[in-house]
Amino acid sequence: MSLLKLENIHRVYQIGDIEVRALNGVSVNVEKNEYVSIMGPSGSGKSTLMNIIGCLDTPTNGSYDLDGTSIHQEVADGTGTASDDQLAVIRNQKIGFVFQTFNLLPRMTALHNVELPLIYGGVPRAERLERAQAALEQVQLADRMHHKPNELSGGQRQRVAVARALVNNPSIILADEPTGNLDSKTSHDIMDLIDNLHKEGNTIILVTHEHDIAERANRVIHMLDGKIHEDNKKK
Amino acid sequence: MFNQLYESIVIGFKAVFQNKGRALLTMLGIIIGILSVSLMGTAINGIDNVFNQTLGMFGDDVLYVQQFPWFMGDAEWWEFRNRPQIREEYSKKIAERATSISHASLETSRRVTLSYKENNSEGVDLGGRGWQSAYIDAAKIESGRYFTQLEDQSASRVILIGSEVNKILFPNVEDPCGMSIKVNGLKFRVIGVFAEQGKIFGMFSIDNMAVIPFQTLKSVFGRSRWITIPLKIREGVDKEYALEEVRSITRGLRGLRPLDKDNFAINQQEAMEDELGKIKTSIAAVGIGIAALSLLVGGIGIMNIMFVSVKERTKEIGIRKALGAKRWVILIQFLFEAIIIAMIGGLIGLGLTSLLVGVVNKFFVASMSIGLVLTALGVSIGVGIVSGIVPASQASRLDPIEAMRFE
Repeated sequence: MSLLKLENIHRVYQIGDIEVRALNGVSVNVEKNEYVSIMGPSGSGKSTLMNIIGCLDTPTNGSYDLDGTSIHQEVADGTGTASDDQLAVIRNQKIGFVFQTFNLLPRMTALHNVELPLIYGGVPRAERLERAQAALEQVQLADRMHHKPNELSGGQRQRVAVARALVNNPSIILADEPTGNLDSKTSHDIMDLIDNLHKEGNTIILVTHEHDIAERANRVIHMLDGKIHEDNKKK
Repeated sequence: MFNQLYESIVIGFKAVFQNKGRALLTMLGIIIGILSVSLMGTAINGIDNVFNQTLGMFGDDVLYVQQFPWFMGDAEWWEFRNRPQIREEYSKKIAERATSISHASLETSRRVTLSYKENNSEGVDLGGRGWQSAYIDAAKIESGRYFTQLEDQSASRVILIGSEVNKILFPNVEDPCGMSIKVNGLKFRVIGVFAEQGKIFGMFSIDNMAVIPFQTLKSVFGRSRWITIPLKIREGVDKEYALEEVRSITRGLRGLRPLDKDNFAINQQEAMEDELGKIKTSIAAVGIGIAALSLLVGGIGIMNIMFVSVKERTKEIGIRKALGAKRWVILIQFLFEAIIIAMIGGLIGLGLTSLLVGVVNKFFVASMSIGLVLTALGVSIGVGIVSGIVPASQASRLDPIEAMRFE
């Protein structure tokens, strides 16, 4: 069974009178421990697809199963409180996000930032600290855990974000242009880290528009006009 | 659940302390509101206390037949001024005729100077009272005794002194009973000392007084124009009935015809209660008015600052939601921020109040009750909730994608 199964996903935005079809019938399966990168020009729908996979958004039409949970069915429409909170729980337990702009909370230490998903997951304090520290060690930032984001370099910040994505053992790690704000040397370090996470058994979905970065994955999906244009598996 | 609640509260606190100046300005309305509520409450408490103390002087089963009512308008004064005097013999006649009255006495007073050796007590309120006052007066005698019927009728020069007079005249004497003092130069024998009664409005000591028999006062200082007839209602008799009976007997004594208006007043403690009730109501009305207005302004201020706070932290809210924060977690976070601002405002208001009460207390009896403190805190928390709920709920409903894009 696939870890992630999207079937005929449509996402339509209504902006004033204009209807924007961001996704126009996308079907894709991702297996456990796959390493997938999604490429495409801006406006191709790759960000919308990421948001739907990340349960930040819900499809207008189509079905989405994540790790045995039917997101679109369970969450009937994206407007009610219950479904909003249900999505929050799914994000909390099954998804680890790494964003282009890091999205760390500026007034908190690295450690506290990494703790956040565990706080919202209701993990007791002692276990929380232990797991957050372990995650920071995994990204080689154990010595910087009491620093705030503005005391860290860009690469270090992104590593804190990676630790935060890892800390609650998610089903998938979603990285949205994780190197977009980093220089090439640091980009390589971060990508090496992500490669490693894959080797350790994590499922990774990466959005990028840089070919050399996309090529690190075993599977590259090209998006165009809200549809999958190409889906190439290596090996 | 508890973890998340704790996190929300901590964030709320941090948010307030990161913007101390802003928070303090926002608090002003609440501070003023709580200040006026609690000052008002304090004033009312103070009046109640004063009232209860002062009531010690008047029994609640005593009627006072007098020329003037205790409370009147300025215009009425001249009308009452021209009434015929209350005469000494009324006391005896009312006592004979009224079945509802157990004791009737006489009271009059004048200002005198009391002296013992080189100690002088000036401006003492010297009461001349009938011997029956022993059964009517609420004032307790600490040592010694009241005068007897014989001492009254024979105009004996005996005197009971108030505790304040006792302190001034006899600072080193344990019990002055039996000592001789001078009243405007005339020798009197001290036969009793009244227990301390306190101060009216914390200013006028009602213990700066002395009592001699009515007949003694009359023989020494001459007839008094102002006589009060205190009447003790017989136990078990309805007060209204007693009042009516005394009224009709007094009308008879005054020779009034059925359609004539009363040309005397029958005063009682209740009249005082009514009058104080009016004062309390007007203080409360003003206090509540000011408080409601400033709490409203304060509440609007908090709501405004909370909208700003939500706007400023939009990205943070987006990140938190993306990481799995449910709506209520975000809601509580901002609600607590509002409550904390309001509560600190309330506490500052209470602090200022207790400071002011401390100063005021030197001139006026005022006191702050626990109930008042709790009410003030409850009110400020309420204002925090009311003014925080809309911004907080707005924050909790933000779309994480949109919110994270916000810079």
